[in-house]
This record gives sequence, structure tokens and C-alpha cells, in this order.
Amino acid sequence: MIAAFFREIVAALNAIWADKGARSTMLGATLFFSVFFPQPYLSEVVRDMPVAVIDQDGSTLSREVIRRIDAADAVAVARYAADMPSARALFLKREVHGIVVVPPKFEQDLLAGRAAPLATFSDGGYFLLNSVMSSALSNAARSLGAEVQVGRLTASGVDMTQAMAIVEPLRVTAVPLFNPTGGYASFVLPAVFVLILQQTLLMGIGNLKAGRRPAGPLSTLADTVVYVGLYALWAGVVLVLLPWVYRLPRIGDIAVMYAVVVPFLFAVTAMGFAVARLIPTREGVIFFLVVLGMPLFFLSGVSWPTEAMPELLHVLSLAIPSTTAVPALVRVNQMGADIQSVETTILVQIGLCLAYSALALLVDWVKAKPAA
Amino acid sequence: MARRPHLKAGFRRVFLAELRQIGARPGLMFMLAPFPLLLFALLAVVFQLGLPRDLPIVVVDQDRSTLSRQMVRVVDATPEVMVAYKAGTLADGRLLLLSGKAYAVVLIPSRTERDVLAGRRPEVVLFYNNQYMTPGSLVARSVGGALGTVAAGISIEARVARGADVESATQAVTPIPVRQSALFNPSLEYVQFLLAAVMPTVLQIFIGASAALSFSRDRQGIAGLGRSLRLGGTLLRTASGKFAPYTFAYLLVLWGADALLFGPMGARFGGSLAFHIAYGLVFVLASQMLGAAAALLARDTVSALAAVGVITGPAFGFTGITFPRLSMNGFSDVWANLLPVTHYLELRTDNILRGAPLDISLPAFGWLVVLALAYGAATLLLLWRHGRPRPAAVPEPAR
Repeated sequence: MIAAFFREIVAALNAIWADKGARSTMLGATLFFSVFFPQPYLSEVVRDMPVAVIDQDGSTLSREVIRRIDAADAVAVARYAADMPSARALFLKREVHGIVVVPPKFEQDLLAGRAAPLATFSDGGYFLLNSVMSSALSNAARSLGAEVQVGRLTASGVDMTQAMAIVEPLRVTAVPLFNPTGGYASFVLPAVFVLILQQTLLMGIGNLKAGRRPAGPLSTLADTVVYVGLYALWAGVVLVLLPWVYRLPRIGDIAVMYAVVVPFLFAVTAMGFAVARLIPTREGVIFFLVVLGMPLFFLSGVSWPTEAMPELLHVLSLAIPSTTAVPALVRVNQMGADIQSVETTILVQIGLCLAYSALALLVDWVKAKPAA
Repeated sequence: MARRPHLKAGFRRVFLAELRQIGARPGLMFMLAPFPLLLFALLAVVFQLGLPRDLPIVVVDQDRSTLSRQMVRVVDATPEVMVAYKAGTLADGRLLLLSGKAYAVVLIPSRTERDVLAGRRPEVVLFYNNQYMTPGSLVARSVGGALGTVAAGISIEARVARGADVESATQAVTPIPVRQSALFNPSLEYVQFLLAAVMPTVLQIFIGASAALSFSRDRQGIAGLGRSLRLGGTLLRTASGKFAPYTFAYLLVLWGADALLFGPMGARFGGSLAFHIAYGLVFVLASQMLGAAAALLARDTVSALAAVGVITGPAFGFTGITFPRLSMNGFSDVWANLLPVTHYLELRTDNILRGAPLDISLPAFGWLVVLALAYGAATLLLLWRHGRPRPAAVPEPAR
């Protein structure tokens, strides 16, 4: 019995190696995507985004506020424009991604204690550039404004501490927990890597099993052990080794990670068997999975919050292992969550594994009936 | 009964043959229009809110004063955020973050109100989950803004107490107000931003894959590409006849999705419709040529599909819609230029969102045309190489 099982294990390994499609998805594609996919994000943050300035005041304080905007890491004052139409033209040509207008009498108003507004135009078509612009501007305006105010108050005889207390009676500090630099790679890649595991494993199973007759229970068990074992190794590569290579933050406990990874891989394998029975051709399975990659990423809630999706859609999306596994693994690996924080996910994965196994058996049974 | 004569070799004959092939494969028919439209519907439902609302956060109020209760009220009143939990300690709040139930913890330390009154400038801290960057930064922005208004209120009161009138006190609180307006997409709607960009990216996968399937199947068939060439007569007629059914189908999907976006979903269309139609057409053609060229290079149908998947699957990251192209490395920049969807999305942004004059869009349109021509030339070349009649029955030399 044991010997027969080992023969099946060897047969399963050989099958992966012998099938070109399975070999290239389960061995090649996993690694390839993990290297290829991160490329656009590797610089993590936007630096020196070019902005245009229209300085209609030309005063000491207007130059000071422009200097402070330029001093922000994320933006750089690239062009001085004479008027709005010429600045707008630069914007349309994508030579700048923001416009700052310092109105006339800026210094005069500021020193007289009147509001001296800055007008800024940012790019609403690109959200990251838009938020880069808004934080650079509000930091520069707030720091200069506070200094001018404190200066005015102290000049009128208020002592420094009291002046500070009037200008800023309550300090509000925002502290980013996890991903402190706000890196885009640190945000996207940990989630994408989990999805790459799921999609390539499904494709590999599709390559091996779609359109073939289902094998016996012993052989299916051996296949499962081989797939889960192989992908447990891949999980180590893409969730531990690659984050280290790319210098992404990873603070989680590896044991807790595997407590999620193993049930997740069992659920994906069971789903792979079910999908391979439902979609009869290999081309069909591969195509289906390639197309679904991006929608599945959005369903996981890492990029677009699940709270903003309709409840029904969220419940339906629980049928895909990645929907709960992606955020759970991100919480474990990047946020250091312990096992209690992800136990629901583990239970969901076990449930999915059972449900997809039952589905696969049901399809076999339905297909076998007419022959009987 | 006399048999109807065969159609003359040419575009029509290849076109009809391709239609028959599609008709014989329900899977392929599903892929042509219903499946992409279903995915569009799915994505539309995902982003239906446009902007997230009522994101759950935790408050740790250790002060329990009038001021701290006011802060909680003001924070809760912002539309983006909802105070869903009140925790006694920061550790409890952190656990709620770790289990994914909340996006931020607001810590109001004890004696905050007393310290404010004594002018000791106490600190209220907002810990937000920046690992989930979209909701995290949204929460940070709106909670920060709400607490800022509370602080501004106190500052105004202090100035009024010192004898200033309310108006000048109010102006003094924000000496340099920043009036930020987004030049385009002013409402900062995610529907315009993500849905309008994700759909063409997904469609590029469909278009490339269907072209790859069509050419690859002919090539793997017994008669091979030679038969398709005989049906078409010339290379150009064969290729265009094979492409045409898919071009029509995907243009319908592309424009159908746009019709939904700009009709019932209420997105604003600010540009030239004729130009929109023109670059849509070139985009579909370029993506088809890309798929066909990949299919003719690959050895079999599965590898052809895999190649298309590798090229078009990760395309979204390279388009620069989420992470901007100006911050990408050299490789990504070059690769992005080779993908039709990059230029298509840039043209869409220019035309629909920005209403830019045509000369601004010429470089991107040029790129799209050049890609279509280059991938088209590659397709024709490979079609000629694989489809020309070979001297029959010459045994392969033994290896």
C-alpha cells in the first residue's frame, strides 16, 4: 500500500515534468511572473514629480513657499509658467503633473493676517500623482503658515509657548502602521504573489487534468500531496525569499504563514480538480484563468476595500480561495498577525477544500452515469 | 441537384470559414462577447460606490472628556469613516487592525482636554494601516482632516478669547489655505479612474487570446495554414478575413462597455467621439496582431495562449494608471510602450478626461499605429513562412 502510494507520488512528479504545459506553468511561470510582475513598482514611491509654478507675487514669501514645495521628496518645481494657459499646455503634454498658482498680494495678505490662499491643480486622472501633489502642497502651506502666525503673535508680545498653543492647540500626528514608507511595491506585491501562486497552480492542474479521465483515489491523493508540497516550496520562495530580495517589509512568523498557506493550497488544488472537470479543454482552462487574474485581485480587498463592495458579491467571492487567503497572508507576513487573527480564513480554506472535492466527485458521478 | 459553386478565394470566403469555426465552438462564442461583458459587469459592481464610505475604525478614548467625545463625533460624521469599535487600550485596537476588521486606531490620551486648556499642546495620534494603501490613506486623510477642524475650533476660541473678532480669528487659523482642484476627473471617482482602465486591459487579453487561438488552431490543423491561404488567395486577404469577425465582436464589446459607462453609469465624456472610435479600432487591431504574431511564433496552441497570457496578463501595472510611468525603471518603460493598451489608455485619458486637442494625442496615436503595423507585418511574415506550400513527402533528416 505504502509502496503503491510512493509509486503514485513518483508518477505525479513525472507527469509534471513530462507535460510541457504543466512544467512551464508550475515551474517556469511561477518564477517568471514573480520576477516580471514587480518591475513597474520597484522604485516604490514617486520622486520629483514635475510641477509648474505660476508666481504672480514674486515676493520673498512666495519664493519661500515655492522653495518648500520643491523641497518635498515627491515633487520638484520643474517649470515656471507665465500664465494658466501656458501651464495648462505643459500639463496636457505631460511635462508637468501639477500646477501651483501663488496669487498676487500673497505676501501682503499673509503678513496682514488675512488668508493668503494658494491655488493648485492636480491630476485627477492619476490618483497617486493627485495625492502626491496634495500632501506636498499642504505640508509646505501648513509649515510656512504656522511660522508666520507664530512670528506675528510673538511680535505682538505673546511668549513663544503661548503662541504655539494658540496656533496649534492640539497636535494631530498620523502614524502609518505597516508599510511606513507608503511604498507601492510593498503594497501590491505581497498580495499579487499569493495570487500568482493560486493562478499558476490552477493552470498547472488544468494542463494535467483537463479533458482527461479522472484517475483513481490513490493517484488523486498522490497528485494532491505533490502539488501542495511543490507549492509549499514555492510559497517559501515568493512569500519569504522574494520579499527579502526586493526589500519589501516582512515581519510575520513563518509558522503562522504556513498555517494559512497549507489549507489554502489544498483548497486551490481541490478547486483545480473541479475546474479541470468542468472546463473540458486545456486551452479553455488557461484562458479562463489568465483573464480572471485581475478581477480576483480587486475582489481580495487589498486594493479596493471589501466594505465598498455589495455584500452579496463579497459572499459569492468567498468561493475563490484567494479572496480570503490574500488578505490573511498579507496580514500575517506584512503586519505580523498571529494565528487567532487569521483563524476564520483557515476555516474558510478547509471548507472550500471539502466543497470543491465534493464538486469534483459530483461531476465524475454525473459524467459516469450515462455510461452505466 | 447541382452543388453550389465554391465562393471565389478571397476575404469573404475566409471570413465565412472563420464564422463557421466560431459557430462550431460554443466556448469560443462565449469568449467573444458574453464573457467580457460579464467581467465588465462584475468590475462595475465592485467599483459601484465610486468612493468608499463608512470604513470602520477604532477609537481608544482614554480621556472621556467633553472634548474627546466631540472629536469622536466629528470623526464619525465624516462620510468616509465610521467609528465601529471603541477599545480600552491601544493593544486591543491593534488586534482589530491585525484581524482586518478596522483600518485605523485613533488614540486620545488621558488628560487631553486638560492639557489643551492649559496650553500644553497635547498630541492625538492616528495609527492607520498603510499596508492596505487605498483605504488606509483615505482614512488617514479624512480622520486627519476631521481632527484638524476640532483643533482649528479650539484655536479660534483662543484667539477670540484674546480679543480678536471671529472673522479674523478664522482666517488666522489657516493662514495659507490650499485650494486644490483636480484639473480632470474633479470628483475623483474610482469608476472613471479604475473601471475605465481595467476594462480595456482585460479586453486586450481576450483580443490577443482569441487571435492566438484562431491562428494556432489553423496551424495545428491537418491542412495547416496552407488551407487558410488557399481560401484567402493572398496573405493580406487571408489575415484580414480571419481577423474581421473578432474585430467586429470586440469593437462591439469595447463600445458597448463604453456605452454603459457613459450612459447609465453617468461618467462624463468630454472629448471627440470620432477620435475615440478611431483609436478604439486601432487598439483592437493592434491587440489582434500581437496575439496572432505570438501564436505563429509559439509551437502549439497551449504555448501560444501562455505567451499571450504572459504579455497581456500583467499589463495593467505597466500602463501607469496606478503607479505612474514617470517613476518606473527603464525596462518597464520600454515594455509599456510595446503594449497597445498603454497608448490606448493614454489616448482615452487625453481625449475623454482632459478633452485635449488632437495634436497632443498624436504621439500616442502614432505609437498605436506603429504597433499595429509592426505586429501585423510580423503576422504576415510568419503566415507566409508557415503557409507556403512545402515540397511534399520530403522526409525530415534524421537527427
